[in-house]
Amino acid sequence: MNQETTEELNEESYILVWLTGIVFLFAMAAIFLFVPTEQTEGPVQRIMYIHIPSAWLSFFAFFIVFTCSILFLWKKEREWDIYAHASAEIGVIFCSLVLITGPIWAKPIWGTWWVWDARLTSTLILWLIYVAYLMLRAQTEAGFMRARYAAVLGIVGFLNIPFIHFSVLWWRTFHPQPKVISSEGFGKGMETSMLITLGISLCAFTLLYFLLMGQRVRQEKLKDEIDRLKREQLYSS
Amino acid sequence: MNLYLNQIAAIVWKDFVTELKTRELLSAMFIFALLVILIFIFSINLSIVKASEVGPGILWVAFLFAGTIGLNRSFMLEKENDCLMGLMLVPADRTAIYFGKLISNLIFLSIMELFILPLFMIFFDIDLLSHLGPLLVVVFLGTLGFCVLGTLLSSLSSNLKTREIMLPILLYPLLIPIIIAAVRMTGQILDGTELSDMMKWVGLTASFDIIYIGVSIMTIDHILEE
Repeated sequence: MNQETTEELNEESYILVWLTGIVFLFAMAAIFLFVPTEQTEGPVQRIMYIHIPSAWLSFFAFFIVFTCSILFLWKKEREWDIYAHASAEIGVIFCSLVLITGPIWAKPIWGTWWVWDARLTSTLILWLIYVAYLMLRAQTEAGFMRARYAAVLGIVGFLNIPFIHFSVLWWRTFHPQPKVISSEGFGKGMETSMLITLGISLCAFTLLYFLLMGQRVRQEKLKDEIDRLKREQLYSS
Repeated sequence: MNLYLNQIAAIVWKDFVTELKTRELLSAMFIFALLVILIFIFSINLSIVKASEVGPGILWVAFLFAGTIGLNRSFMLEKENDCLMGLMLVPADRTAIYFGKLISNLIFLSIMELFILPLFMIFFDIDLLSHLGPLLVVVFLGTLGFCVLGTLLSSLSSNLKTREIMLPILLYPLLIPIIIAAVRMTGQILDGTELSDMMKWVGLTASFDIIYIGVSIMTIDHILEE
C-alpha cells in the first residue's frame, strides 16, 4: 500500500467518523428529547430505538458474510475473506446487543426476562451459529484453509435462517401464545415522531456498520502487510 | 454414472469392512445412546410427566449425541495414517467421497437406531409397533438431515486441532430445525396423527435434506483440498 492511498483512505474514514458521530448525536437527541414517552409502556420503550436498529444491523451483517463467502469461494481473493470476517464480528456484537436490550425491555413489560417466543429463539440460535463461525476462525491458523472453511460455514449458516425461522415459528404455535407484540403491531400503531426517531436511529446504526467495517478491514490488511514485511525480513537476514 | 456409483459403493464397503474388523463404532454408539436415555430417565420423574410427551425429545437427543460420536469417528479414521490423502488421490470426484461417507454414516446410525427403538419402547412403555411405518419414515428423514450436514461439517472439523470440541459447536445450532421437526413429528405420530396431517414438518425436513445435499455438493471441493 503506497502513501497516497493510505492518506486517501484516512480522509474518507474521517468523513465517515464525523458523519456517524453527528447522526448518532441526532439519534440520541431524538430518542431522549424529541420523541414522546409511550403511554402504556413508559420510558423503557425508548430502548426499542436501539433494539430494532441493532437487529437490522446484525441481519444485514450476516447477509454480507454470506455474500462475501460465496464471492470468496468463487474468486479466491483474500479481500472477500477479510470482509466476511469483519462483518461476522460486527454482526455478533450487534446480535449480542439485541439479546441484551430485549430482556431489559421485556422484564418490566412482560414480567419475565425471557420467553421462548419465535423471534427471540431464532435470534439466539443465529447468535450461536455466528459465534461458532468466529470460534472456527479463532481455532484455525490464518491462511487459505481457514478462509475456505469459514466461507463454507458462512454459506451453510445463512441458508439455515429460513429453516430456523419456520421451525421455531411452528414449534411455538403448539404452546399458548405469550403476550408478544409482533412487529406488525408495532409498525401499525406507531406515531410519526416515533417512526422518524426510529429512522434516524437506523441511519446512525447503518453508518456505524460501515465505519466499523472500514476500520476492521483496514486493520486486517495492515496485519497482512506486517506479516509480509516480517517474512521478507526473515528471508533477507 | 455407473463408475461414479461404483466409487461410492467402494467407499461405503471400505467403511463397512473397517467396522467389521474393529467393531468399535456401532457398539460404542449404541451404549452411549442407551446411557443418554438412562440419564434422562433419572433426571425426570416419569410418574409426573407423560412418557409420550418427553419420550420423543429424549430419543432424539440420544440419537444426536450418539450420532456425533459416529461423525467424529468417520473422518478421524481417515486422518490416521493419512488415509484421507489416499482417498483424495483416488481418481474420483470429491463428491463421491462425500456421498460414500454420507451413506456409511447413514447406515451406521440407522443400525444403531434400530437397536435403540425397541429399548425405548420398553423403557417408556410406549407402543411403537402400531405406528411403525410413519415412525420409520420420520426417523429416516431426521437421520438423513443429521448425516447430510454432519458429514459436511465433520469433513471440515477433522482438519482442526480441536476437532471433537468444534464439531458439536458448529453442528448443533445448525441442526436445531431438524431436531425440532423430528421431535414434533415423532410426538405427533405417537399421539396417533397420520403422516399426511403434518406435511409442513415433512416438507421442512425434506427441503432441509435436499438443500444441504446441494450445498454439500457445491462446497465439498473447497473442504477436501490440499
